[in-house]
Amino acid sequence: MTALRNHNCNYISNVKINFKFDGKSYFAYEGDTIASALLRNNIRLVGRSFKYHRPRGIYTCGIEEPNALVQIISEHNEPNTRATIKRVYDGMVITSQNRWPSLSYDFGAINNILSPIFSAGFYYKTFMGPKGFWKNIYEPLIRRSAGLGKPPKNFRSKSIHQNHNTDILIIGAGLSGLIAARKFVNTKYKVLMIEQDSFLGGILKNSNKVDTINGLNSSEWLEETEKLLSKAQNIKILRNTLVTTYNFTNHFVALEDKFAGKKIDLNKSELTLHKIRTSNTILCNGHIERFISFRNNDLPGVMLASSFEKYIHRYGVVPEERPVIFTNNSSSMSLLNSMLSLGCKPEAYVDSRKNEEIETDIKKILKENNIPSYFEAEIEGCDGNKKIEKITIRKGKIFIKIKSSMLCVSGGYNPDIHLFTQSKGLLKWDKNIASFKPDTPFQKTLTLGSVSGNYNFNKLCDEINEKLSFLNTAKLDFEIKLNVSNKYSIKELWETKSKINSNWSKSFIDLHNDVTIKDLKQAISEGFDRIEHLKRYTTNSMGTDQGKISSINSLAVVSKLLKKEISEVGTTTYRPPYAPLSFAAIAGRSTYEFYDPQRKTSIHSWHLKNNAVFEDVGQWKRPWYFKTHDKETMHQAVQRESKMLRENSGILDGSTLGKIEIKGRDALEFMNLMYTNAFTKMKPMTSRYAMMLGEDGMIKDDGIICKLSDQHFIATTTSSGAPKVLAHMEEYLQTEWPHLQVYLNSITEQFSTFNISGPKTREIMRKVFPNIDFSNEAFPFMSFKNFDYKDTKIRIMRASFTGELGYEIYISPKYGLELWEEMFSCGREFNLIPYGTETMHLLRAEKGYIVIGQETDGTVTPIDLNYNWMIGKNKKDFIGKRSLSRPDTSREDRKQLVGLSPINKTDTIEEGQHIVELNELPKKIKNPIKYLGHVSSGYYSPNLNHSIGLAMIRGGKNLLGKKFFVTVSGKTKNIPVEVVNPVFVDPENKRLIS
Amino acid sequence: MIIIKCPYCGERDQSEFSNGGEAHVVRPNNPESLSDKDWGEYVFFRNNPKGIFYERWVHSHGCKKWFNAVRNTSTDEILKIYKLKEKRPEITEFKNCLKSPSGEPKVGSGNFTVKK
Repeated sequence: MTALRNHNCNYISNVKINFKFDGKSYFAYEGDTIASALLRNNIRLVGRSFKYHRPRGIYTCGIEEPNALVQIISEHNEPNTRATIKRVYDGMVITSQNRWPSLSYDFGAINNILSPIFSAGFYYKTFMGPKGFWKNIYEPLIRRSAGLGKPPKNFRSKSIHQNHNTDILIIGAGLSGLIAARKFVNTKYKVLMIEQDSFLGGILKNSNKVDTINGLNSSEWLEETEKLLSKAQNIKILRNTLVTTYNFTNHFVALEDKFAGKKIDLNKSELTLHKIRTSNTILCNGHIERFISFRNNDLPGVMLASSFEKYIHRYGVVPEERPVIFTNNSSSMSLLNSMLSLGCKPEAYVDSRKNEEIETDIKKILKENNIPSYFEAEIEGCDGNKKIEKITIRKGKIFIKIKSSMLCVSGGYNPDIHLFTQSKGLLKWDKNIASFKPDTPFQKTLTLGSVSGNYNFNKLCDEINEKLSFLNTAKLDFEIKLNVSNKYSIKELWETKSKINSNWSKSFIDLHNDVTIKDLKQAISEGFDRIEHLKRYTTNSMGTDQGKISSINSLAVVSKLLKKEISEVGTTTYRPPYAPLSFAAIAGRSTYEFYDPQRKTSIHSWHLKNNAVFEDVGQWKRPWYFKTHDKETMHQAVQRESKMLRENSGILDGSTLGKIEIKGRDALEFMNLMYTNAFTKMKPMTSRYAMMLGEDGMIKDDGIICKLSDQHFIATTTSSGAPKVLAHMEEYLQTEWPHLQVYLNSITEQFSTFNISGPKTREIMRKVFPNIDFSNEAFPFMSFKNFDYKDTKIRIMRASFTGELGYEIYISPKYGLELWEEMFSCGREFNLIPYGTETMHLLRAEKGYIVIGQETDGTVTPIDLNYNWMIGKNKKDFIGKRSLSRPDTSREDRKQLVGLSPINKTDTIEEGQHIVELNELPKKIKNPIKYLGHVSSGYYSPNLNHSIGLAMIRGGKNLLGKKFFVTVSGKTKNIPVEVVNPVFVDPENKRLIS
Repeated sequence: MIIIKCPYCGERDQSEFSNGGEAHVVRPNNPESLSDKDWGEYVFFRNNPKGIFYERWVHSHGCKKWFNAVRNTSTDEILKIYKLKEKRPEITEFKNCLKSPSGEPKVGSGNFTVKK
């Protein structure tokens, strides 16, 4: 059992390189895949199976591989890499997966002995209790023993995305793809051709089926074609690129491996995700061979026949001199030819077809070369320890045992319909090829060659000329001469019967997920007889290979069990991706600091210098609190800031507040419709706290509206609500009231905004702006004025969110930092402090002011908040007005805003806790506990020296003075609270208007 | 991802647009005179047919303009796009489509893969 080299293979160089597999060093030639290199070194055992930990080998030679998945240690631990695709480079380090302590002696193989209990639906029926066991015991245990490789670590991908727009997309550069591409050479069409391999040619390099094309031998023709295509200005070819997704409107996703066969350079992008739009799609993605189920059809040494042949021609390695060939169709003749031309002779040839069904040239070769042949026979099974040792052939009632270490299986060719069905095209069962083939496309999709079910080389050019005739390209005719017979014939055979009737005997239908024929039978007997249910119950074809070599087999087996036609059973839905693609490729550059843009105010550098801790508000970075020294905790900082502000003065960077300018002839009418408040009688140059509702009457956003004139307003919004508010206004303006002449403009970033408040604020403002009269008479609460400042203008508004005397200053960001620093130099003698959003929240809660998204949650009306005064009752209409009088919105027992004060002043009211009538929760809750509401805000007030809360309680308005209980997280004992007015500080507004 | 042809900017990827639900639902002129039931119908109820659907879109990451579209919801085909001021196209214009509510279209719904 040794592998040989095919020296005629031109795709592999003679340069020897070294790599490591499971700690041992091996050699390979440049161009080898991991699989071909391992076969070259006579390594057959490469992994352990998903569930039973059975020894597994290399089954295929391409994307369809279900078994040979490995972990690439030298590439940041990349797991689940198909050994049949990934190319080896010098110094590569690889390990096998899902085994412990070693590949050869895997402890998990005990699952194989226990396998009779791990049948279909095992997990659904077992592990039902006791409570908590799933999370803590079963799941970690199962996750450890079942599964694939380990996740990658310490790697930051540099993958990028690239967009293409093209007229024609050709997927697959095999024989039919290349002929189609030649038709477009130097035409008006922009063509993109995608090939998953690093070489063009498909069948021409994977087998020796084709002898000559137009008199040239196939490699000469390939060379001629490549030259022609690369010279053509209108054709672009992407190699090492796999199309994974076929979306609506001819949109594709393809993944290019930029370092195929090379060590990754961490400074360069290793993957490119191509996003392609095309007018017409030509699928030339060929076919995939399927297997046949028999006893122990998963033993290392079983390989698909065409894959065996591909290793010979594409990679120049003959995995075994004397394998047994098992087939149900005519395609294995090509493998026979290839082997005999290298002087290798198969140990036996087993064909399930009858003598008269088998082509005469196959019989002739077999006879001439004295190959033991068994017609109308099948493989019953094979046996061996971690490899094939013995193969049992059944011919009629006779069993013949043969010694061999490899078995080449061919169950026929399936057109690779994956992409076609992703595009929502419909399939049809073709009896002649015993497989599904594309029938009705949904998009502008053509299929050429074997993907269309045409295995006839002589008709290939006619097919291509005919299907592409609508594009008016020149006719091409190639005379394709074959080494094998042109006719494809097959006899359906999906499984062979095992002679051993044991619970441990296994004949697999899905190698990746360890699904056996028995599992399918059991699932059907349990009632899962719809193919989509059956798939999920058994996990059949749900592995990373998506059942590429086996899913049609399982459909056929199921249709036989159900006594239905296979087309009646149908296929499961094919969904993207065609093959796994890494998350790094999908994410592209949108990771870490590029994940989401960060918005910073003009004062950001000052905040950094002054030890601000930031909070994310939408995309904005806002100071949360400022640390005076390293050891100051958030609680300490917020308590300090809050107390200092009520004693002296504090300033907040409010630049993040959304600002929208509303201008135009009908601005007043528009504002009256958008907000609950009445703006008609409002004097120019005054401002008002206003609320915006949805049509359902629920609060959407709030803010201060400045009225410059009836034709000009400026609205502020919450920091994160600005885009939503602008879009909401724009929608109504365009769709409902197009007759209104109003223009909207976002001016959020045109102004830096400072909110200064506290009892000493007026003195500070007088010092900063000596020419401005800040007296109560000249500058009353809720008025604003514009002033010249240096060579710019500023707007100052008297408003407050803390309940103290306060002003808001709007200035061009260009002067923002300068003015901010000026205010601090003037404010130093008055102990002016900077404060962050947390202190702002605490102070506003003391004052009973609400925050959108904290007290409101999309189910709260202004009436629920006792904000009836904000509703312009005399207005004929505004958005949400009618809904406020709906029976549900005017219910008395809606949750309403109240304040909470703890009866025991040392208790802490936590945000988000429930309000109940019980002083203690029962240890085991049997009946639902009456729920009154929830705490929407909870803070420790440094000015009252106890905890306070705002809460939304059912019928809260009428419950003032009542005693309830607030739950405590992780405890059953509740804390007693009293329902109070939500305004804790300065209910008479003396400070506000001082 | 489908392509939408903004009547102001031309063909763009779907990701530039936001869907605005059913089209031609007019906000009542005088909400106060409506019964609770009628107002509730306007606020909360929308059609959701399988088949031909008149809907609103906005080019939110572009010109920010609203417009209307007729889409076959079972295949995601956009059959017509028209500006807000333009007349609502008659359903009879879309002869080759199944009417709503419809059965399965012959191809494109993705609910089955094999031709019946």
